[in-house]
Parts: sequence; C-alpha cells; structure tokens
Amino acid sequence: MKRPAILAVGITALGVLGASLLASAQGPVRIGASLSLTGTYAKLGKNQHEGYQLCQKDLNAKGGILGRKVEFVVYDDQSMPPTGVRLYEKLITEDKVDAVMGPYSSPITEAVANVTEKYKKVMVSPLAATTSIFKKEPRRKYIFMVISPAEVYLEGLIDMAAKRGLKTVVIVNEDTLFSKAAAAGAADLAKKKGMQVVFQEAYPKGNTDFSALLTKIKATNPDVIAAATYFDDAVAMTRQMRELNVNPKMYGVTVGGDLPEFYDTLKGNAEYIYGATQWEPVLSYPGNKEWFEAYKAEFKHEPSYHSAAGYAGCVIYAEGVKRAGSLEPDKVREALLKLEMRTMFGDYKVDQDGFQLAHKMVTFQWQKEKKIVVWPDDLAQGKVQFPTPAWNAR
Amino acid sequence: MNVLITPAMVGQVIISGLLSGVLYGMVALGLALIFGVMRIINVAHGPLLMLGAYTTFFLYSAFGLNPYLTVPVSMAVLFVVGVLLERTLVFRVVDAPELSSLLLTFGISIALVNAAQLAFTSDLRAVEFLTGSWILGPFAFSKSRVIAFVFAAALTAGAFVFLKSTRLGKAIRATSQSREVAMVCGIDVGAIHRLTFGLASALAAAGGALIAVIVAIQPEMGQIWTFKSFLVIVLGGAGNYPGALLGGMLLGLVEQLASLFLTTQLSEVVAYVLLVLVLLVRPTGLLGGRQT
Repeated sequence: MKRPAILAVGITALGVLGASLLASAQGPVRIGASLSLTGTYAKLGKNQHEGYQLCQKDLNAKGGILGRKVEFVVYDDQSMPPTGVRLYEKLITEDKVDAVMGPYSSPITEAVANVTEKYKKVMVSPLAATTSIFKKEPRRKYIFMVISPAEVYLEGLIDMAAKRGLKTVVIVNEDTLFSKAAAAGAADLAKKKGMQVVFQEAYPKGNTDFSALLTKIKATNPDVIAAATYFDDAVAMTRQMRELNVNPKMYGVTVGGDLPEFYDTLKGNAEYIYGATQWEPVLSYPGNKEWFEAYKAEFKHEPSYHSAAGYAGCVIYAEGVKRAGSLEPDKVREALLKLEMRTMFGDYKVDQDGFQLAHKMVTFQWQKEKKIVVWPDDLAQGKVQFPTPAWNAR
Repeated sequence: MNVLITPAMVGQVIISGLLSGVLYGMVALGLALIFGVMRIINVAHGPLLMLGAYTTFFLYSAFGLNPYLTVPVSMAVLFVVGVLLERTLVFRVVDAPELSSLLLTFGISIALVNAAQLAFTSDLRAVEFLTGSWILGPFAFSKSRVIAFVFAAALTAGAFVFLKSTRLGKAIRATSQSREVAMVCGIDVGAIHRLTFGLASALAAAGGALIAVIVAIQPEMGQIWTFKSFLVIVLGGAGNYPGALLGGMLLGLVEQLASLFLTTQLSEVVAYVLLVLVLLVRPTGLLGGRQT
C-alpha cells in the first residue's frame, strides 16, 4: 500500500513540474489588447490591429521574444472606454496574458490604464497622445507613450499661419480627451505667436450636423480654422463648410485627415486641407520604405500612422523585454525608461513618467490626391499651396 | 466664447432646422405607425434606415445610378425586409407584454448592425453626388438637404393621403383604433400588421437613402435615428401621425437654435429638457396620443 501511494504522489509531482517547465519553455508569450474594431474609431483601431499583427509575424520570424513565440489576444472594445476596462480586466485576470499593449485612442487608454496599473502590467500605449494620461497624480508607473502628444498636432498649421502673417483663428474640437488637448495646445500656441483666437467651441462625439456651429464660425470670418477632429466629424464638417461656403485661408484637421479614405470620401473637397500626422511612408526613417511595402503586401492596402505606431509600439516593447531579459514588469519598466531607439516610425525616448520626448510630428497638405509633407521645413517634400481658394473659385 | 448673433444667422439655422426637421418627421412617422397599429416600439427602426442607406450606396457605386432614383428601390427592398421581419419574428410579440417586443426589436437591431459590419465592414462610405449649395442672399441652401426635404415632404404627404383616403389606409387606421372591432369588420389584422411594418421600414429606408447623400454612412449610423424618432413621436404624441411631423420640425428647430444660441454640446440637452417639459405639461404629447 505504502509504496504505490508514494509512487503515485511522486509521479504526479513530476508530471506537474514537467508540465509547468514545458509551458514556460515552449508556450507562446501571450500579449493582450482591446482595440476599437467597431464603433466610432473602427477605421483607426483596425489599422493599429494590423500593426500588431505584422509585428507578431515579424517577431516570430526572428524567433519571438526570449525564445518564445509571440501571440496577440485581441478583443473588440467597440470604441467604448467601459468596454475596454472590462476587457483588460478579463485579459489580465481570466486569460492571464503575459503582457498587454495599449488600445486605440486616448479616452480608452485613460480608462484602461487604471486597470493595468492596478495589476502592475507594463503597457506600451502606441496610440494615446494625451499628456494628462502620463502626467498624473498619483503617478502611473507602467505606461509608456510612443507618439507625440496631442498638444502639438496643430502646431504645424498654426506655425505656418503665423509665418504668413495670418491674424485670426477659430478652434473647434470633439469634446473628448485627445481633441480637447489638441485644441488647448493650438490655442496656447496661437496666442504665443500673436494670433487672436476669435471663436472656440466643442461639439459632442458622434456629431454630424455642423450647420449652426459653422454659421457662427462664418460670422467671425477667420483666417484659419483649426479643427481637433477624429474621422467621421472631419468628413462631415468639411462637406458642410462647402455647403455653407465657409472660406478660411487655411483649414486643418487632426486625426482622420491623413487616411486615404479621407480623400476617397471627400474627393476634390479634400484638396488644400492640412492634416497632422505622426508618420508618413516618405519619411526617411530606417527600414520605413521596406516596412511600408511589407504592410501593403500583407493587408492589401496602405498603412496609416496608426498602423505604423502600433507596429513600432510592439517592437519597442519587445526590445524592452529583450534588454530586461525577462517579462517581469519592473525589469521591463526599467529597460523601457532607459531605452533610446529609432524605428521605422521615428525616435523613441521617454522621461521618468513614460512621456514621449523624442518623436516628431509632421504637417501635410492634400494636393492633387496626394499628401505632401509641408512642415517642418527639414522634412518637407513640397511647397504649401496658399491661400486656400474659396469653394466657389475651384 | 460666443459671437454676435445676427438675424441672418438665425435665418440660416432656421432653414437648416426645417430642412432636417421634415426628414426627422418622415422617419419618425414610420415608428409612429408601428406603435399606433401594433403597440410596439421598434428599436430596429434606425438599423432598417441604415440598410436603406446602404442599398442606395451600393446601387450608386456599383451601377452609377442617380442616388435619388434609388430611393424607390431602397424603399421597395426594405418594404420586403420589413414584411419578412414581421412575418417571421415580430408577429410573435404583438400581444405579449411590452418588454418582450422591446427585447425582440432590440435583438433584431443588434443582429442587423453586426451583420452589416460583417457584410459591409465598418468603413465610412459616402455617396459623393451633390455637394455644395444654392446661395440666396445671405442664406445657403445645401443642395442635398433641400432635395431630401422635398422628397421627405412628398413622401410624408403621400403617406397621409394613403392613410386618410385609401381603403387600405383606412383599414390601418381602424386597426390602430381598435384591433378587435377591425377584426369583427372583416379586416385581416395580420395582413395589416405586415403591411404596416413594411411601410414603416420603407419610410426608414427613404430616410436612409436621402441621408446617404448628405453625410457619410457606416453600420452604426442607425441607432441615433431610433432615439431621435422616439423623441419625435413622444413630443408629437405617440401613435398620432400628424404629431410625428410636428415633433420632427420642432426637434430640428430646437437642435439648431440651441446650437446657435448655446453650444452644439448643449443642443441635445435642450432637446431632452423639452421632452421632459412636454411630458410634464401634456403627457400625451403635443397633439395628443393614441386613444386607448
């Protein structure tokens, strides 16, 4: 009786030990994320998702992370922060993923950061551009920023306008975290450059009727309209600007304006519009051209900066793990704080809060169906077409 | 921060308000019809509108059809979809407690939106057909919105004539007044229900087709129209058909004027405050609700 019992216990113990050893040696590193695959941010969230997918493929082709394959576990948060919170909770507590990456958009990142901080999970957040997410009391320790902050999105537009002697500017924004910060940054900068903000107003998320807002804007007859938008609202606002014959000398939007779909949807009405982007395929970052081609081949359409940032964020996280030599959050955190890296997306270097310092933003203008980078001067591809002609003079 | 508001600006937003108000009225009339006849709040009304919009988009992009010519096609397609929905699902909850019909139509709504996301993707689509506007003195009349207004006004008028003076229309109104008496008079109530659901879906489709020319569309465009239509019929008096038109105009004007004098953000608040006030002062809506 005695011997077989001991034997059984021994075998079981060996089995458990063996199984756990096997798992740690061969199981994939599972990285969880929620992304906006449907809802208001679907277009942008999907591109980010493809960035993650391509990164997974490339990492695995090079042998994965710490010798283990990489596998993304992605859920759809329907562009809603509460859903994101629930999904990160699920990823960490139920799915027990090894690591997490950020969701799409600032509002959702802001919400889910509370969850990832609670469980002390490092989260590289490639598509969160709002300063307040990273500069927060009490301090968030495990979140890392990849793109330039919201406040500088409209910097190029305002800077070019000021250089051309324009005086009055109207600022409008969707009333969400990122857009508010972009609008506030534009307002500060305009005042610093001696311009006058003659009208400023926010509109609710999902708004598609801008008649009354544009009627007010038209009455102020501004030189510049700076709109802190996402995608649907940028399209609707542009169409109604034409309908109501609102004619600023410069008109710029933030997110969404850089998507090929922006031009496909608006056709010729997109001409002369300025947009801000974190990245363009023409920028001379290492491996950028090759990455652009590989992405096109993989997904049969062109990447946007959301795709590129998603990819770069994932590469940066992998580099952090490599330097830390472990998935242990505190070690990865130390490595990411020290890391200075140049990817095909541009530069990465953060301060002690994980706030991005090195990455550069560019401003483009839609000219003859193409985005031409026009600002800053050292990265510019072409000349600005200025001023924007009136709608009825095109 | 606010600007000095001139009479011309007020005129401009009143124009915008009336243009969208009639569209609200037409779409809400569909919801009012179903509520009047079947006592069901059709939460899937907005998603049906979305399907109408996509029908127009695909006819326009695949065959290059003039989108305004596709309005009758969208209406016909959605009429059939509406009849089929009634035939297979909705008829089961006509006499059930209100919660069942809410749950069912809510379910249909989720299914339609998700099916559309799978089939059409969630990309934004646009019918870039008629942009720009006609300028009349200080006022701009958006071309696509004016034409939508004309269509909506004509279709709403047509629907009223149909309800008022045709035998079928009278049968619908009779059923809406008292199902039992209508049945005793030899009206096939089941057929009237199917017809009503089909007509209401066709009105939603017309709205969708017209909206597709005004703004870019995506599978989740519909839900907001369910809410707006609901607001409109409660304002006008649930089950009261002319009330839907009045409620629509009122909502259009209130939204625009509130955006002008206050802010765009507050315009929705104002619309719902108005709803609460109407419910406090006249619980049956401005023109009175359906008699019970």
